[in-house]
Amino acid sequence: MAKSQKTSVGRRGFLKNAAAGAAAGAAALVTPPLVDAQGQGQGTAPAPARTGVPAPTQAQIDRETGNVRPPATVHTITRPGSDLMVQTLRDLGIEYVAANPGSSFEGLQESFIDYGNPPNKMPEFITALHEESAVTMAHGYAKAEGKPMLALLHGTIGIQHGAMSVYQAYYDRVPVLMIAGNDPDFIAAHTAHDMAGMVRSYTKWDSEPKTIDEALVAIQRAYNEAITPPMGPTLVVLGSEIQKDNAPNTKIPVYKPPVFVTIDSTHAREIAKGLLDAQNPRIAVGRLRTPEGVQRSVELAELVGASTSTAATGGPMSFPQRHHLCGPGADTTYDYTLGLETAGAQASITGPALSKTAATRDTVHIGFGGTVPGEGGRGGGGGGRGGRAGVPVAPPIEADAEASLPLIIEEVKRQMTTDQKSRIQARIAKHTTANHEARITAITQAVESKRAGWNGTPISTARLYAELWPLIMNEDWCLSSPSNFSGGHHVQLWDHNKPYSYLGGQGAGGMGYGAPASVGAALAAKARNRIVINVQTDGDLNYSPGVLWTAVHHKLPMLTVMHNNRAWHQEYMFVEYMAGVRGRGDDRAHIGSTLRDPYLDYAKMAAGYGMAGEGPITDPSKLSAALKRGVASVKRGEPYLVDVITQPR
Amino acid sequence: MKKYSILSVIALATAIVTLNAQEGGRAGRAAASITNVPAPTSPVTGNASAGKALYSTYGCYACHGFNGETGARAFVGRWGNLSTEQNFLTFLRGRANVAPLAPSTSMPSFSESALSDKQAKDIYAYIRTFKSSAPELKDIPTLNAILEAAKQDKK
Repeated sequence: MAKSQKTSVGRRGFLKNAAAGAAAGAAALVTPPLVDAQGQGQGTAPAPARTGVPAPTQAQIDRETGNVRPPATVHTITRPGSDLMVQTLRDLGIEYVAANPGSSFEGLQESFIDYGNPPNKMPEFITALHEESAVTMAHGYAKAEGKPMLALLHGTIGIQHGAMSVYQAYYDRVPVLMIAGNDPDFIAAHTAHDMAGMVRSYTKWDSEPKTIDEALVAIQRAYNEAITPPMGPTLVVLGSEIQKDNAPNTKIPVYKPPVFVTIDSTHAREIAKGLLDAQNPRIAVGRLRTPEGVQRSVELAELVGASTSTAATGGPMSFPQRHHLCGPGADTTYDYTLGLETAGAQASITGPALSKTAATRDTVHIGFGGTVPGEGGRGGGGGGRGGRAGVPVAPPIEADAEASLPLIIEEVKRQMTTDQKSRIQARIAKHTTANHEARITAITQAVESKRAGWNGTPISTARLYAELWPLIMNEDWCLSSPSNFSGGHHVQLWDHNKPYSYLGGQGAGGMGYGAPASVGAALAAKARNRIVINVQTDGDLNYSPGVLWTAVHHKLPMLTVMHNNRAWHQEYMFVEYMAGVRGRGDDRAHIGSTLRDPYLDYAKMAAGYGMAGEGPITDPSKLSAALKRGVASVKRGEPYLVDVITQPR
Repeated sequence: MKKYSILSVIALATAIVTLNAQEGGRAGRAAASITNVPAPTSPVTGNASAGKALYSTYGCYACHGFNGETGARAFVGRWGNLSTEQNFLTFLRGRANVAPLAPSTSMPSFSESALSDKQAKDIYAYIRTFKSSAPELKDIPTLNAILEAAKQDKK
């Protein structure tokens, strides 16, 4: 066993073994698989490992463990390719790069932290403790800002660590830009002939350029592909040579923004006419791409006086929930409905589904999650998000709703008559009154229902959300973590008026998302005087607790409030049910689905990572004060964790 | 296997329909109001102290909360199937979810081999000790602050 482990060349295991060997003395490092029979390890040909992958040579071990310096450069590097790569990212407006260090991108990392004036800005290097966290940070950031940041991945092993997060971003149709290093002259197991192949089935586009010029073009292309519907993660593999090669005369190519598919002028005229001729038009807003798209949807609704529906309580980039036109309106008999990234209206504009991407990628024989053309599910359907509008409906027009909005707005302005203007103003006034009344009715019912279990112990999830709201309602806030396992009480109690108010679910339902996505959202929030609220389920945090350190290290305004039900509770209920229907009782259902014996102490966990915090809190009367301390802390830029022992749901 | 009378089956079906209607969906989708049906006064024969341990061991809290007040299947104030000890036993034994292949979130049946009548009666005795911990709305400053803020926000 020891032999096979030591010939294994996984980076962390490799370092661990090497370090252990060093501690035991140099002789201990010289294990049989790593040297020839005469003990002449250094410089010998690599011994084949059990898998057929060459084991590292002694020279490689010395290099990896820091015993020797990298080979001396034989010529002066005045302008390394990696500087140009970083400048290209800077020009694209990439604010952050999250990475766990890896030798295959040492050239790039050095440029990120040392190149430019000031160095390590735009992008700023964010230290991740795991590649899965690095990618999910980028996922959360993109949902908050509507644009990508960069995740930097080590060859093969880093990509595979990040793979699940890539899949989530893909399924969530979120733009994430990734670069992976590839060092073909170093450890064989960290290289691959087709590095991107490991995640090709759930990335939108990838490239492995061979020259610096090609690399700069590829980075720009990857950015454009990521932000063009259907949005998704993209990957550029950069060899270590072109990161380090000198490029004194290379120029960064002029960036050409992507072209978004819009509706044509005929459709724009028809939609404008439909909205203006209607006595009671409706706009159903799903999930748009960017905050600018949200602004344009508001502009259109106000222009035509349409009541609107929103997806803002389910995810980012939708119509402000408490806008005076958002709600059922004065009359719920809508005679014309326009759907923006949501289907089921008289006119619907929806972006292409993932199946459009899947058709060009290596996914057909995998067939996960309905991303194969013609299948159901999130990726393969009509591409719509959000709720359905009225009937009868028309097939969606496949175009980007956000990019189409200016055409509709222009057309509405051109067609609108004076009579229509006055009619619209009267309608807006009626809608405003009706929507306000509807809101009061809804929130009166909501607060009435949230009384249930108010003073109970453990603390009700409704009370957790309710106590948070008065503390943040006058702040610029972002609820960054999914609420599907904690009751979703913010939907009724909070006001989701910003494109980033609520960032929605995990994408593909994978755990280990909430905390790193919140760190990503907090990166977006940091420079914008915003605070991030992470209502964190306990099972989920244990996949990636290292991000707590990242939040502290980078002074991120993130308040983590534990929804600590001491279980992967949904799974607990599933097992209970299965035991029940099989007539075996539920008394053993906790095995494998609960977190007890011992209970985890999340305040201590946070403290271990350097984060201030408190708890566990079991007394509901002490909750508000703890949350208040937490909000005050994050407003100072110091992340904070409050561990709350809660009811299961 | 226990046999049920036609009447008990009808009563059970009615109870299930009632419960399902009460269950509602995710909190974000429906604001179910608190109902204040008085707690039953029917006889209790079990041991509430023993029932407390069983309520935890058998994971009743998973769907009904530790106090019967929270979660999608809260029952305090909407006692329905819990109106009498016998109704509870009938409900427990005869839920309609007969071994589906895929897990659902509906309550499963509990056979007598899995949970004895004595244990069930103990659980019932414990459940009957549950009382609403919900104060009147006027006595909850947080919720009143939320309501007032919404009323004043006349955008």
